[in-house]
Amino acid sequence: MDKLMALWTGSGLYNMDAGSLTMIVIGFLLLYLAIRKNFEPLLLVPIGFGGILANIPAAGLAYSAVEQLAHVGSAAQLDQLAAVLGTQFENYKQILDVYYSAPAAVKLTAEQLASDLNYNNGMLYNFYSVAIGSTVAPLLIFMGVGAMTDFGPLLANPRTLFLGAAAQFGIFATVLGAVGMSSLGWMDFSIEQAAAIGIIGGADGPTAIYVSSVLAPELLGAIAVAAYSYMALVPMIQPPIMKALTTEKERAIEMVQLRPVSKLEKIMFPLVLLVLVALLLPDAAPLLGMFCFGNLMRECGVVDRLSDTAQNALINTVTIFLGLSVGSKLVADKFLSTETLGILALGIVAFAIGTAAGVLMAKLMNKLSKTQINPLIGSAGVSAVPMAARVSNKVGLEANPHNFLLMHAMGPNVAGVIGSAVAAGVMIKYVSAIAG
Amino acid sequence: MSQEADLINEGLSLMMFGMGFVFVFLTVLVFATSLMSKITLALAPMAPEKATPNARPSVAPVASDPSSDPVLLSVINEAVRQHRARRQ
Repeated sequence: MDKLMALWTGSGLYNMDAGSLTMIVIGFLLLYLAIRKNFEPLLLVPIGFGGILANIPAAGLAYSAVEQLAHVGSAAQLDQLAAVLGTQFENYKQILDVYYSAPAAVKLTAEQLASDLNYNNGMLYNFYSVAIGSTVAPLLIFMGVGAMTDFGPLLANPRTLFLGAAAQFGIFATVLGAVGMSSLGWMDFSIEQAAAIGIIGGADGPTAIYVSSVLAPELLGAIAVAAYSYMALVPMIQPPIMKALTTEKERAIEMVQLRPVSKLEKIMFPLVLLVLVALLLPDAAPLLGMFCFGNLMRECGVVDRLSDTAQNALINTVTIFLGLSVGSKLVADKFLSTETLGILALGIVAFAIGTAAGVLMAKLMNKLSKTQINPLIGSAGVSAVPMAARVSNKVGLEANPHNFLLMHAMGPNVAGVIGSAVAAGVMIKYVSAIAG
Repeated sequence: MSQEADLINEGLSLMMFGMGFVFVFLTVLVFATSLMSKITLALAPMAPEKATPNARPSVAPVASDPSSDPVLLSVINEAVRQHRARRQ
C-alpha cells in the first residue's frame, strides 16, 4: 500500500497545478500553430515541445539542481539550503529569490550542497546553459544565416541600406513604449528588459534571443515566442500598414533592373562590413562577425564544404537545441505573468512601427532623389528574411501585375538583418554602460 | 516620481542615440560599399555575364515542365501500357 501511495504521489497527475497545466496547454497550442498553421514550424515545433517537457510536474527538466532542491526537497534538506543562504525557509519562491540575488560564492556553495544531496541539473537546463546561456546557439545560427544570404541585390543598390536602417525605428519606439508602461505603473520593466523587448521589432529570431540572453534572460521565453510568432504573422501584419501609407500609383512604380554584381564585390562586402564593425561598434562584433564569417565562406568559393555545413547540417542541429532551450524558459512560474502579456502587445506594435518607418523612409527617398523606388520595398527593412520581401512582392503584384519586386526587396531585407544587429550592439553597449 | 522620469529619459536618450548610431553606421556602410564596388570594378572589370547572378535553389524557377516534354511523355505512356499489359 505504501508503495502504491509513493507511485501516486510521484505521478504527474498528483503534482499537477494550474500553472503547469496552462503552460502544457500553451505548448500544445504552439505545436498546433506550427504543424497545422505552418507558423515558423522549424522553431515552434521544438519550442512548443520543449515547453511541454519543461512543465511536466515533478520532473523538473528545466530546473537547475538548486531549484530542484527548493521545489521537491524534504524539510531537513530545505533547512540546510536556507542555512547556506543565510536565511530562514518560508516557501520555495522566497528561498529562490534569495538564491538568485546571492553572490557567486554563496551560489556555488548552494550548488555543492544540492549536488551532495543528489540533485542534478535537469536535461533542458543543461541544454539551455550550453546553447543559450553561453550565447553559442544564436551566434551559430547567425553564421548560418550569413552563409545563406546573397548580398547581390544590396550591392547593386546600396541605398536600400537606408530602408533597413529606418525599419529599426520599431525597436527603439518599443523600448520607449516599454519604459512608458513601467512609468505608468502598468508593468515593471527595467531598462535592460525594455531593450530586450524592443529587439522583437528587429524581426530577427537569433538577434532577439542573443540580446535577451545578455540583457534579460528571465524574459527570454516570452520574447522568443513573441518574435517567432509575429515573424510568422508578417504576411498578415504588414499589408494593411503598407496599403494605408501608400497610394495606388506609388505601389505601381516599376523599378529599374538591378545591375549585375561581380564575384569580387561579393567577396569584399563581408570584409568591408567586418572592418566597419571593428572600427565603430565592437559590441556588435559577436553577431556581425559570425554573420560576415558565414557570408565570406559562401562567397569566397573555396570552402564550399564549410559553407554547406553552416547553412544546412549545422544550422539544423543548432536549431533543435535552440528551440528546446527556449522551450525550457516556458516554465509556468517564469512565463505566466502580466509581463508576458505586455511583451506580446509591445512586440506587435514594434513590428507595425518598423514596417511603417520603412515605407515612409522609402517615400522620403523618392522625394530627395530622381531614381524612384517603390515604397513597398521599405517594409522589407524589418528583416524577417525572406518573408517580408515576399510580402512586398505580393502587394506590388496586386497593384501592377508586371511588377516583380522580390529581388529589389531582398536588398532592404538583408539590410534589415545588418540594421537589427547594429541596433542590438548599440543597445547592449548603452544599457550595460548605464547598469555599470 | 523622479525615478520614473529617469526611466523615460533613459528610454528617450537610448532611442536618439540608438537610431542615430544605426543611421550613421549604415550611411558609412553605403559609402564604403559604393567605394568598394567602384574600386573592384575598376581593378577587375566584370567577366561577361555567366547567367547566374544569384541562383538560390529555393528561388530558382523549375527548369522545365515535365508535362510538356514529348520524349518524357511518350516514355511514360509506354511504361504505363506495358505495366497494364503485364497485369492482364
